[in-house]
Amino acid sequence: MTLMRIRALPPFRRHPVSFFIVIVLLSGLILISLRVKERQGVTYFDALLLEVCSPFQKAATHTLEAVQGVFQKYVFLIHTQEENEMLKRRIAELQGENHQTKEMTIANERFRRLLQFRDTLVTRTLAAEVIGQDASSWFKSVSLNKGERDGVQRGMAVIAPEGVVGQVLKTSSSYSTVLLITDYNSAIDAIVQRTRAKAIVEGKEENRCQLKYLLRTEDVAVGDVVVTSGLGNFPKGLLVGEIQEVEKKGYGVFQYAELVPSVDLTRLEEVLIITESSTVSLPPQEEKVEKPRKAPSGGRKKK
Amino acid sequence: MKRFFFLLLIGVLLMTLQTTLLASLPIRRFRPDLVLIFMLYLGFSFSNVSGGLLAFFLGFLMDLFSGNTFGLYTFTRPMIFFMAQLVRNRFYWQGFSSQFLFVFAFSLLEGFFILLLLSGVSSTSLHNLYPSIWTYLLPQSLFTGLMTPILFELFQKGSVSLTENHRRSVQAGG
Repeated sequence: MTLMRIRALPPFRRHPVSFFIVIVLLSGLILISLRVKERQGVTYFDALLLEVCSPFQKAATHTLEAVQGVFQKYVFLIHTQEENEMLKRRIAELQGENHQTKEMTIANERFRRLLQFRDTLVTRTLAAEVIGQDASSWFKSVSLNKGERDGVQRGMAVIAPEGVVGQVLKTSSSYSTVLLITDYNSAIDAIVQRTRAKAIVEGKEENRCQLKYLLRTEDVAVGDVVVTSGLGNFPKGLLVGEIQEVEKKGYGVFQYAELVPSVDLTRLEEVLIITESSTVSLPPQEEKVEKPRKAPSGGRKKK
Repeated sequence: MKRFFFLLLIGVLLMTLQTTLLASLPIRRFRPDLVLIFMLYLGFSFSNVSGGLLAFFLGFLMDLFSGNTFGLYTFTRPMIFFMAQLVRNRFYWQGFSSQFLFVFAFSLLEGFFILLLLSGVSSTSLHNLYPSIWTYLLPQSLFTGLMTPILFELFQKGSVSLTENHRRSVQAGG
């Protein structure tokens, strides 16, 4: 009925094709305007489409993995002997390192108690599989096989064993999209581990980030490790990356630093979503100890 | 209607390929935009209405499966489609070089549209995106252009067999 009414309109009768083109392009512009205005993530319709189309991605990824698996297990066995020897040597090295790490962990535990660190971070994570990459080359995101049904919500922090990956951007019932830290639109509050200099990590390009608002007076050098500050959605102390380049000009308030993420975001396969992050008190006997000054609580960072 | 959904399914499958197989290859940085090639093919051989709607839906899906929250492709994809329709009768597009040049130019054009729209709607500074013109847009457009003759040929064959099947089923139905 509505379609008939539209067709009966004088401009549609005279120039039906031009009228249709204007309607389609206008719809696109209205959608952009609505999304910019609301920025609420995905609507019901978007979530429905994600649910319908994501299984294709999932199936394609699993097929690819199966094909790769066949190649790796059967076709590329030529160098296995060589690789085995190398791995044995590596195990011996790692065992040595492991002993050292254990010693350091015990020492660290002692120091932590000594310094009366009252709160310790408890995080609950959910493992998810990467089922697809960004459809466009302008943006950096990945699709995961976990969604709202598994407890995933927009804004949740996503990490890998090597460090920070990004934040959940869109969710549907069973799938979600994660904005990677290398996307130009991503920003994470961070500190340089050695000097505790504060900065914002912004995405730059593929596997590159930059440190923004890093004061010129701060001592920062190539090779310095950058970790999350605890402000925003990420728990404190997660590895973000390593500084690769520092540029200090003769003027200005800030200096420029480039960072290589600790996680190779081009080869992500599995990630952890931090679904719950809270602070808990230590056992009652330690409560008697003089209370340290509480660290400032982290605010939810929005772009 | 059946034809429309069939083409939509092909578009979804091409996008799946783009986000999985092509993203896992060493050339992922310059992976060709298969959906754009498909849409430009539709621009050459389909009507304004069904092709325009397909471009709109495929653009919408591109937005859903990217880190872009603004819905830019929902606007740029139909626009590119209608622009392709505008020039299709003034352009010889059967040869390798003409197909390559045509898609290469439209891929670049869409990239500039995206940047233009982003500079209008994004509150974040875009200076980090500008180097991507050289590191992504140009090589990707080049690869997209190079893939075009192969895919156009495939689409052409698919389209012919689809029409043939349709003709047979009409004849069988009496």
